[in-house]
Amino acid sequence: MKQHLGRQSGVQNVEVSLIDGKVEVTPKEDGQIDPAQLLKATYDSGVTAAEMDMTARGKIVKDSSGSPALQVAPNRSFALTPNDLSKGLEPLVDSQTMVTVRGQLYKKPPGKKKPDPSAPLKLLILEVQKKE
Amino acid sequence: MNTKKLALVALLVSIVSPVSQAQIKHIEMRVEGMT
Repeated sequence: MKQHLGRQSGVQNVEVSLIDGKVEVTPKEDGQIDPAQLLKATYDSGVTAAEMDMTARGKIVKDSSGSPALQVAPNRSFALTPNDLSKGLEPLVDSQTMVTVRGQLYKKPPGKKKPDPSAPLKLLILEVQKKE
Repeated sequence: MNTKKLALVALLVSIVSPVSQAQIKHIEMRVEGMT
């Protein structure tokens, strides 16, 4: 799995901990990394992703449906799952303020045997680390 | 003419640069079924 993930575009380094089932991915600075592709590659390598967390820096924008989203690259943004932290970021929509957040992009749905790794990823913000 | 071009470049840089500083810094997954 480590080699499989390491071959994905935008991936600089992959560290796998067999003991606790943790996989840490360090992206390259080229902005090409695609979390959805990583999730798919994980499934393709024969293991099930239970959870995916991301730390990212970007701007708060409105997506095509008018919902707030975190834009991490000119062509990549993640819709925000509404919670108290996302509501606190809504005033920053379309401002020049950059935010650094840690959030959950994916969690395996309980009870479902076959989660859909191709479903659009939404970002549940767990922590706002910086606003600048 | 050159001044206009420079102003245009400065404007484009100011629009594009905040997004170019945006990036995914780290991804962590918890997986099941790994041997």
